[in-house]
Amino acid sequence: MKEKYIHILGIVLTLGYGGLVAFLYAAEPRSLEEFTTKARSAVENIATKGTVVIGTYEVDAVRFNEGLAAFREDRFPAARDAFERADPEKRDARTQFYIAYSFYRQGWSRISNDDALFQLGVEAAERVRTIDPNFRTDDPGLVLKTPVELRTELEEGLKVTADDFNPLRVFRERK
Amino acid sequence: MAKLKESEIEAEISPDEDTLEVPVADQLPAVREDESVRQIANRRSMRTYIYLPLIFLTVALLGGLRLSGTDGSFIFVRPALICLIFAAILLLLFFRAGMLRLDGWFTEEMTGTQTAANGLVLVSLFAAATQIFNSLIPEQGLTFWVVSFCFLWVLWNYLFAEFDPKRLLKSLGAMFGLAFVTKYMVLANLTAPGGRSWLRSIIENPAQEAATWLLDLPRFSAGTGYIQFFAVMLFLLGLFLTPSSTRTER
Repeated sequence: MKEKYIHILGIVLTLGYGGLVAFLYAAEPRSLEEFTTKARSAVENIATKGTVVIGTYEVDAVRFNEGLAAFREDRFPAARDAFERADPEKRDARTQFYIAYSFYRQGWSRISNDDALFQLGVEAAERVRTIDPNFRTDDPGLVLKTPVELRTELEEGLKVTADDFNPLRVFRERK
Repeated sequence: MAKLKESEIEAEISPDEDTLEVPVADQLPAVREDESVRQIANRRSMRTYIYLPLIFLTVALLGGLRLSGTDGSFIFVRPALICLIFAAILLLLFFRAGMLRLDGWFTEEMTGTQTAANGLVLVSLFAAATQIFNSLIPEQGLTFWVVSFCFLWVLWNYLFAEFDPKRLLKSLGAMFGLAFVTKYMVLANLTAPGGRSWLRSIIENPAQEAATWLLDLPRFSAGTGYIQFFAVMLFLLGLFLTPSSTRTER
């Protein structure tokens, strides 16, 4: 074998094996089974990033529909899980809007809202605004149509005002 | 040599000229010698650019690997900053002692691929050295500082001592051996086994439990010692195989 080829082979092997060692220390698998799982998720992650780089990134339609079905059945954690799997790179305004909306609906209550969920909702709504400032949902089941409306509603829910002590609040409806 | 052969083949032979039988080209002693030199150079290259990085990276992989004392699961311990410092000092020592010659690893005569390959071999050596210190220095607590200080003391002294590669390798073998015995035999025997209730440990092994608590010793499975012994041996083998220069000298 030519010496140059040995050098190239050495470089490739060293980089490949070194990458594997670095991956193991980064992922810290606790068993060989966990190593396989983590390696698969890392490969999927790299593949997704690759699609973003070459401009062919798309939302997983099957997972999005699963998320939508769960959202309509008020199973919000399951819906968010499906939406996050459908849009792992957080680049689709529609999916992110549903995630923000799921925080609103899960955190909403007639007596007192869940501030932690509302705060997460504000962050998700802000993300939608960053991705597409003119986004407007066409879902007739959603009262709040734009990320700005949703964010305002969430921020209102986070504030403590005199209106919070109004007993008629229990008659209000979730949007 | 090749040009001479061509001229011999192409020269016309007159019928009156006396001819002499000569061995065919590839059986000429000089050609055979040339071939064997090339084979030796190839073997050296394979050793330096293929086997050595594989050895050092295996050491880098195993050096931080521990097995949990409770369920035997893998624990990958990342090296502390001090391990990187010790590894840098060790590499400096290799150059000072002549075990590695800078002009033998990086020169303008070398091609780009060879320089890159050489650089990667040295990077893998550095990674292995870091992980060997990670392997031999206790993970936490008082023992971490005591053993680290001992390593610093020894390496600092080595920096100002006159060494030749052979003596340096022997000294390193002795130093790593002592550190291995300290961590994986002495301290490991002071550590109470994991996976038991606190009360049971106190009743069955009060002294070990007290030493574990006082010295903040982590509970690893006995298999960890075997893995680290293999890692240390592999590292010393790698050092033994490392050439001082990668330049082809005839």
